[in-house]
Order: sequence, then structure tokens, then C-alpha cells
Amino acid sequence: MKQNSEQIIDKSLKLTVCFFVASAGLWLLAAALLAYISAAKLTDPFFLSSFEFLSYGKVKIAQANAFVYGWGGNSIFAVTLWVVARLSQAEARGKVIVLFAGFIWNLAITFGLLGILDGHMTPHEMLEMPAEIWPALFISYSIIAFFIIVTHRSRRNSNTIAPQWFLLSSLLWFPMLFLIAWNGLEINPARGTVQSVLSMWFGQSIIWLWLTPVALGAAYYIIPAILGRAIDKYYLAVFGFWCIALLAPWSVVHHLEGGPVPMWIPAIGTVMSIAMIFPIAVASTNFHSTAFLDISKVWNSLPLRFVIFGTLSYTISSYIGVIFSLPAVAKITQFSIINDFHFNQRVYGFFSMIIFGMVYHILPIITGNEISKGAKSFHFWTSAFGVLILLLAYLIGGLTHGVLAQQPSLNWASSVISSILPYFQITELAFVLLGFSQFVFVVNVWKAIIPNPFAFFTNDNDATNSEVSA
Amino acid sequence: MNNLLKFSLGIFLSLGVAWLAFVVGARAQFGDLTPSSETLDEFGNIPSDSDLYPLPVSGLAEQGSKEYLALGCMTCHTQQVRMVEAGFDVERGWGQRPSVARDYIHQKHVLLGNTRIGPDLANVGLRQPDLEWLHKHLFEPQSVVPQSLCPPSPFLYEQLDQASGKTFTVVNDKNESRFIVPSIRAKRLVSYLKSLHQNYELPEMAFVVNEEENIEKNAELLNLPASDVNQSSLPSWLEKQIASGKEIYMKAAPGGGLCFTCHQPSGEGLAGQFPPLAGSDWVLGDKERLIKISIYGLMGEIEVNGEKYNNVMAPPGIPPGSLTNQQIADVLTYIRNDWGNSASAVTSLEVSTVRNKIKGRAPMQMWTAAELSAVDE
Repeated sequence: MKQNSEQIIDKSLKLTVCFFVASAGLWLLAAALLAYISAAKLTDPFFLSSFEFLSYGKVKIAQANAFVYGWGGNSIFAVTLWVVARLSQAEARGKVIVLFAGFIWNLAITFGLLGILDGHMTPHEMLEMPAEIWPALFISYSIIAFFIIVTHRSRRNSNTIAPQWFLLSSLLWFPMLFLIAWNGLEINPARGTVQSVLSMWFGQSIIWLWLTPVALGAAYYIIPAILGRAIDKYYLAVFGFWCIALLAPWSVVHHLEGGPVPMWIPAIGTVMSIAMIFPIAVASTNFHSTAFLDISKVWNSLPLRFVIFGTLSYTISSYIGVIFSLPAVAKITQFSIINDFHFNQRVYGFFSMIIFGMVYHILPIITGNEISKGAKSFHFWTSAFGVLILLLAYLIGGLTHGVLAQQPSLNWASSVISSILPYFQITELAFVLLGFSQFVFVVNVWKAIIPNPFAFFTNDNDATNSEVSA
Repeated sequence: MNNLLKFSLGIFLSLGVAWLAFVVGARAQFGDLTPSSETLDEFGNIPSDSDLYPLPVSGLAEQGSKEYLALGCMTCHTQQVRMVEAGFDVERGWGQRPSVARDYIHQKHVLLGNTRIGPDLANVGLRQPDLEWLHKHLFEPQSVVPQSLCPPSPFLYEQLDQASGKTFTVVNDKNESRFIVPSIRAKRLVSYLKSLHQNYELPEMAFVVNEEENIEKNAELLNLPASDVNQSSLPSWLEKQIASGKEIYMKAAPGGGLCFTCHQPSGEGLAGQFPPLAGSDWVLGDKERLIKISIYGLMGEIEVNGEKYNNVMAPPGIPPGSLTNQQIADVLTYIRNDWGNSASAVTSLEVSTVRNKIKGRAPMQMWTAAELSAVDE
């Protein structure tokens, strides 16, 4: 009986989840291509330089947006839809409308990215897509979020658990963040550097309050589900959750250290960043003390291997993030390529790795098509190495960049930037490797969704053949 | 946690508190700053006859800021000079003082940026006042800064087959010349870059003065002849600059200028061999000529105060030509203000401007008087 109800839920989700996963995969490929172009442009400024729409600044910004809204947004919908429905033991609602909203979401991002490449970007961090498309994004997001909440409201068991808190809070935080930032930047634009504070606050919060909770919620769901054991020290989770909710919105503005804003803004950011060690420690304890009780099972299950890579990456890099927010370190690394380290570790090393694991867990269940173990394994190792190389290059390169930039006697172009050129070359290689890896992921996903893509054509051929013979 | 309404309320509140601080609080504190004079009178009011800063930007420059934004320049360039305790931006020569919130109030879009793969641009209008340099840099950055990673923007220019009155000539590392005519977009962008300067003081932030050797000074202040003020009441930065210049003048070790061996500690020179500096029309006259000589040296026949001299002056410094912009500024300020001389000080900014202007001249290629007077015209 129970098996039956789960199958019904999965069936109600099949179309929407497959749609979101498939489009997320395509955006991932687009982001990989843009990432390679921007990395190549840093090693050779003449690469594709005659095309205005491919100038470095545009490509780099377009890549971040394709990654966060295209890949991140679609995969967030897929994971949230499925996990919330499963935990509510309720069928998903509004299937057609959600699908339609998802279509609008993707269409809007397509236009948004073309707008950036065509020279219509806004200067606001992670809101760079042209102003015209944001209402469409906001409305389609709200529709999808509304139906997920409706599903959650119709749950059988009124008690909620950690994955639900994280997923629902992320669902609610995004529109709030957006409305605050949109009001302060476009509707009633603030004057002077108040704009910069708000734009930076939004750009960093979107990572901390939208992507991060989804990945944490997914990890809280999948680790006990696959291991078949409860989260160790689960009572800490509620503390960890509210710590993130209360501290994260404050901790993100330390990047303005020494800038043209009142001192209390970066200072409060620094204090709250340091306080973030509590929620990081909680999540880390929960995940890893559970996983290490049965480490061989983690290793043998590829979805879980992805997820634990992500949670480890979260722990390590978040602690590194705390160190880099200390004023003495921040003033060295502040404007260096360490910013790329933070972005990529959070969005790739942590969020994406967990989503990869989730997708590999969900897709076979929903479609009934297994994904070959070898292909998953290839994807895991290339991604793991690619990310590791990428992050190390940005970390060491960023430190070099920052330290040399603090020597006023060194010439900027010929000493400071030339010294980090080798690291740019390494990131270019890493993006090639990651591109392969992501291509394999997308092939895996599409094969699971449409196992025999040429069936249509072959049937068609048969039909024409028979017509001819007739 | 189980009641969705209470849960959502908690979620909204957690973000709402931060919103109160960063949006409502920040707006109330510094969201309505107005232009101000450089200093306030004793009652804290703006004196009625003073200029207000920051100055509004021109329409062309404002359009240029849109081009800057559209091309994504902000990805690699910041526009903020950090506080002295947070970094070495002032020492690097990226500004005369840290940037403050009031500097940005006229900008529709504030383009602070957060990564520096290229240099900070908060004061690029002061550092690179030269139109031609800026256009060449936009067309092909590597033609003026060989190791730059900045992407070229050839699409902002029209290329012609031969030079004419309105073209700029860009030479690449293969020695090929291109003749370019800037489009209106390039002109807007350059106008915007030239408008970027924080070369005024504000009540909340004065210029950073002379705590370190390489700090740039207020060009306006320095244009006053030093004799207008009583010797004992010289500003401390000027006193320090003169003292440092004297040390360089007299020093015969690496890092020194070795000037005194020829021009003598008295600045009188040696009759018939080495020209005097005291009362010299070369020293008290055109600064640019003086700076040029201090960078490359001088040879051949010259006339100083009506007397002819014919000798060779190697580029000053040990080793020759090794003096930094700041050192040259100091030593020139010294020789313009000792032995009865009294003329405006020289800043390292002026030296670097001249240096950029004559960039490309072979090292150790000393000037001749004829060459210098030709340049003057």
C-alpha cells in the first residue's frame, strides 16, 4: 500500500521534475561554455576579442547568472518539488501551471542572458539581467513556490523535519530578498553607496539564503534516506537552522571592509561571519557523524558520494570563509580573485555536487531508468578533481594576488597580474575538465529521461519506407 | 516549526531585521548626503562663496558610464580607494585620499566593483589625463601597457588606411601601425574615465599627507609659491619634501642623486663647466622641461642666465636614471626652494604625467637644448 502511494506521488511529479532537471542540465552546459570562454580570455586577451557581445565582463557575468538562475533555479525547483511532495506524502498540485511557469522562468533567463551579452546589464550583483525580465522571473517563481507550499500544506503528518525547514525557508527567502533589493535598487533607487551595500547584500544573500538552504535540506533528506539510519545528534539541527536564519543575512557584507560606507556595515558583517562557525559546525556534525557510521555504504552509493563531497566542501570552505572575513586577512584578499574561490566553492563544490547526488537519486526512481554506474563514476571523479584544481588555483592565486597587490612598489600589470597568470591558465584547464564532466552529467540525465531519443525518427523512417513500398 | 504561518513569520523576521539595518538604517544615515565645500567654517556651515563637491558630471560622461557598465568593465575594475588602515591604495598612487560615501552621490549607478584584475579607477581621470593614451588603451590595451590582460575593444573604433588629422596611431608589438578614429561610444567612455577623479577634500576626509614617501599631494595647494608663506610656517608636507630632496641632492650612494658633485652644495655650479641652479631660469621656469631633464639627463650646448655651457649630464641617480617619481619630485622641489630660489613644489603626479608622455624614449638618451625647445613649441 505504502509503495503504491509513493508511486502515485512520483507519477504526479514525473513531468515537472524531468522538465526542470533537463533544463537545468542545458543551463549547466551553457554556463560551462561561458566559463571556459571567460577563463580563456584571461589567459589570452585577444581570444575572440573582435566580438563585442563576448567581451570578458559580459561573459563572466552571464556565466554567473546562467549558473545560479539557470542551473541553480531549475534544479532547486526539481529537488524541492520532489522532496516536499515525498515528505508530505501528498501528490503534487498544479502540474500544468507549474510546468508553464517553469517554461516562463527558462524563457526569461534566456532573454536575460542575451540582454547581458547585448549590453543591457544592470550593475547590481546577481541582478545583472535586464530590468524588464525580472517581473516575469518573479511571477513564475511565485507560482512554482505557491504550488510547492500548497503540497506542503496538504501533508499527512503535521510534524515537520529538517529538510522541510530548509527547503521551505529558501522558497520564502528568495522572493523576499528580491523584493527588498528590487525596491531599493530599481523602484525607489537609493542614492550613492547605499546602492552598493544593498546590491552586495543581495548578491551574497542569494547564495547564503537561497542556494545553501536547498543543498543543506537535500543533504538532511538524502543521507538518512540512503543509509537507513537517523541523523546523528538530530536535536542540534533546529539550532543550526535558526542560526543560519538569524546570522546569514548579516554576515554577507564584510566585503566592503575599508570602503566608502560607514564602518559599522563591514564590522557587523565580520562579527556575524565569525558567529557562523556555529551553524557550520552543527551541519557538519549532523552530516558527517551520521555518514561516518557507515562509510563503506556512502562510498558505494554514488548519489551519497556526491552529497558527502558537497557537505565536506561546505564545512571546509565555510571555515576558510570565516578566516577570510577577519579584517587582517580581508584587507589582503578583499579585491583579489579569492572572490572567484568563494563563488565557485559555494555554487560548484557544495551546491552543485549535492544537487548532482540528488538528481542521480531522484531520476531512476521517477523514470524507472537506471543510469550506468560507470558514467556516474566518471562524472564524479572528473567533477571532484576539476573542482579541487579550480578551487586550489583560485585560493593560491587569490592569496598571491592579494599579497602582491599590497606592495605599492610593484607595477600592477607587469608584476602583480603577471604573477597570477599561471593560475588563470590552471583555471582554464579546470574548466575544460569540468565541461567534460558536466557534459557526461547531462547525457546521463537526458538518457534517463528519454532512453531512446531516436525511436521517433526510426519509427518515422519505417513509416515512410512502408509508404514507399506501398 | 510545525505551523507554517509561525514558521514563515520567523523566516520573514530574520530577514526583516537585517533589512531594517542595511536598507532603512543605511538610507537614514547616509542616503541623503548633499554636496559640500572642502572645509566648513567654525560653526560647521558651508561657507557661502565656496565651490561644492563632488562636481556634477557632464552629459557625455554620464552616457559613458552606461558604456562602462554595458561592457562589464566593473568585473575587473573597482572605483574605491580604501581607508588607509585597510590597504595601500593611496600609497600605490590610486588616489590622494580614501573614497567616502559623498563622492558617489551624483552617480545614477554606483560602480564600486569588488575585484581588481585591473587597477582601481576612482582617480583614473587624474592619472591618465591624456586622451590619446586612453583611446589607445581602449582600442588595444597591450599597445600602451604591454602585459595588460584587459580585452581590446576594436569594435569601438573605425580603422582607416592612413593617418590623418583625426586619427590616433596605435602600434602593436609587431610594429604594425593602425590608424583609428574613435566612435561616439568611445568618446563617451573616455569622457567618463576622465571624469573619474576625487581631487578635492571633503569635511569628513582630507588628503592623506606625507605619512609615507609615495603619497601624492594636492596639486592646487602646491601651485602657490613657497615664498608666499613664512619659512617657519611651511606646511609640514612641504618641509618634509624639501628635507627629503636635500638628502637626495647630497647623497653619493645608491638611491641618491649625486647632484652636488657638479652643481655644488651651494647650488652655484662651476663657472664655465657646470651651470648654477641658484637663480637659474631653467630651474625656476617650466616644470615639464625640468622633469624631462631629471629623467633622461641633458647634453650639448645650453645657455643658462646668458652664460653658455657645453657638457654632459647623465640621467641623475645612482645608478643613472633610477630615481623614482617621488624622489624626482622631492629633489626638484628642493632645488626650487633653496639658495634664495622660491617656486612651486613638484608632485610625483606631475612627474609621472611627464614620464607617461615621453614613454617610449630609449633609456639613457639624453635631451639636447634644441630638442627641449622644439618640444616646448
